[in-house]
Amino acid sequence: MRKLIFTTLVFFFSTDFIWANEEENPIGILFPQAEFLNHYTARIPFKVIDQLIVVEAEFLNKKGNFIIDTGAERLILNKVHFPKGKRLTKKRKEMTGVTRIVDQPYERKLSEFILHNLNLKNKKSDVIDLSHIEKSKKMHLLGIIGYNILKDYEVFIDLYLNQITLSRVDKRGNKLDDKVYAEEVSDTLDFDLRKHTIVVSGFVNNEKVRFALDTGAEFNQLNKKIDKKILEKFRPIKHLSMVGAGNKKIRVLAGKLYDFRLNERIGVGPMYTIVTNLRKMSEAYGTYVDGVIGYEFLKYKRTIINYKKEKLYFIKSPIFSP
Amino acid sequence: MILFLTFCISVSLFAQKKTQGYRIEGDEVVFVFDKRDYKEVTHGLSQHRKSIDDTAIAIEMIAVAGKFNNWSEDEWIMTKIDENRYELRKKMADFTDEFSWEFKFVINEEYWAEPEGDIENLSKAKRKGKDLNVYNLKMYTAYISENGNAKFFLKGYQQAEKVILSGSFNKWNEELFEMKKAEDGWYLTLQLRPDVYEYKFIVDNIWITDEANPNQKENEFGGYNSLIDIKAYYTFTLSGYKDAKNVMLAGSFNDWSKDGFKMSKTEEGWEISILLSSGKHQYKFIVDQDWILDPNNPIKEYDYKGNVNSVCMVR
Repeated sequence: MRKLIFTTLVFFFSTDFIWANEEENPIGILFPQAEFLNHYTARIPFKVIDQLIVVEAEFLNKKGNFIIDTGAERLILNKVHFPKGKRLTKKRKEMTGVTRIVDQPYERKLSEFILHNLNLKNKKSDVIDLSHIEKSKKMHLLGIIGYNILKDYEVFIDLYLNQITLSRVDKRGNKLDDKVYAEEVSDTLDFDLRKHTIVVSGFVNNEKVRFALDTGAEFNQLNKKIDKKILEKFRPIKHLSMVGAGNKKIRVLAGKLYDFRLNERIGVGPMYTIVTNLRKMSEAYGTYVDGVIGYEFLKYKRTIINYKKEKLYFIKSPIFSP
Repeated sequence: MILFLTFCISVSLFAQKKTQGYRIEGDEVVFVFDKRDYKEVTHGLSQHRKSIDDTAIAIEMIAVAGKFNNWSEDEWIMTKIDENRYELRKKMADFTDEFSWEFKFVINEEYWAEPEGDIENLSKAKRKGKDLNVYNLKMYTAYISENGNAKFFLKGYQQAEKVILSGSFNKWNEELFEMKKAEDGWYLTLQLRPDVYEYKFIVDNIWITDEANPNQKENEFGGYNSLIDIKAYYTFTLSGYKDAKNVMLAGSFNDWSKDGFKMSKTEEGWEISILLSSGKHQYKFIVDQDWILDPNNPIKEYDYKGNVNSVCMVR
């Protein structure tokens, strides 16, 4: 681990945003591999690249990848492919993307789903240079899909079947389709939505903790300023050098966090975790948190997020028993 | 918020080097530690370097530490095979990442064995272009094997000096997979995990597609990459139903055909193995005309007609 160099990227949301507001020709992110379930639900297969959830997509006639990131406030477009200031408009005759899926029996419905339900009408997006991620992960990265896109759906992140299910919800958070999951929900948990951040309360060593659930976190993080009793349950393995924002080198401790419980019934772990100063992170999340749980948590828990109801639902994993 | 782990690596390569530290057998990765392969160890946070002979370390325990287990020194404990060799078997499916992992061997939870010599899969740790003077072993799910499941052949190009096979199976590495010259062209056989891969040949620094392969995909540069779909055998079993006359398997892989795959009777019930593409497949069993879910598989999904089907994952 000492051989590795960590880079933390802190996205500061820029004021340069672009609007997608063509009333008649809504712009959609097109997922060529999506499986259309019914009118308001689609399943999109993803790949895990360096513990990040990556979906294949097409956007404004460009093909590439998007990272699914509940820690990002809104849609982020890669400046390399979408130069700043360009208006996101598109003429109907240029919409060639849909014709590529002619082999699919439900092509018409799929295009409808994309046009009517995953359009970016009145959605803000940030344009940021993401070329360093492209280089280190060797992928063609169009952008990052964040909270302002995901919040209109119930989002099932399934690291067993490697797919994300997006199911449109109404204002109250009720799904517009009823036949979405054939497997039973095994547990339900309330969370707090603070700005765009999913804050989950739980216990470590019987002390209360507040963790942000962030699908863009490669590793779990624990704030080093946290109560000593909680740190007792952290078992260090190695020191790491990390390069933080502004290329400043910091030392962190990597190890495993034991005994994390969401409530009396649900325990998770042990989870690989790094201990670091989360002050900067808290600014980006818009709220103070004791730690961040991401891929490590989702690996154990097939998790459904409902932003409107502020609830998480869990479906049993055949690999890890609760 | 995204926490990115980046490590700049340069893989130094020469022809005919050996792959050290692991081999792949079927769907298993076998980590192999042979103490004769190592001369030096490092230990402590300051990475003191010592000769194995000087320290006269009595090996009590060898562990595999890598990116896949957060470099834990005491979790993946190896089994002693003989005087010099230790092994540890892991299922391929346990490795969730797509391409490669770096790893090392740890002796007695303390000493990190330092690989050296003509090793193909050596990866040099660097920071901002500066050498850190340490190496990790690198494991690819794709590797060269004469008995591999993916044969690549490029006809002609007899005048070329060097032909490299590069693709999504090795993060488009431009050096790793050098093709071998034959009378009629260039060839190489790889062992790959089930998936759909994109690839190209690099003929003396010129990137070309595989002309013999009609399956192509447009890439981000406006050109095309060749596509190869690596499939794997998957065995479906149904316990019981011993009085049934006929049991069929139907699924998304055969367009839900009622008479495509006939299952064979076994002592426990019924069984069939079929070749499947990677990823998710929906299926059901047809027991004497009755469509049933797989009673031993908790994973199921609705299809777009509202039916519930069993689901399997090939990876």
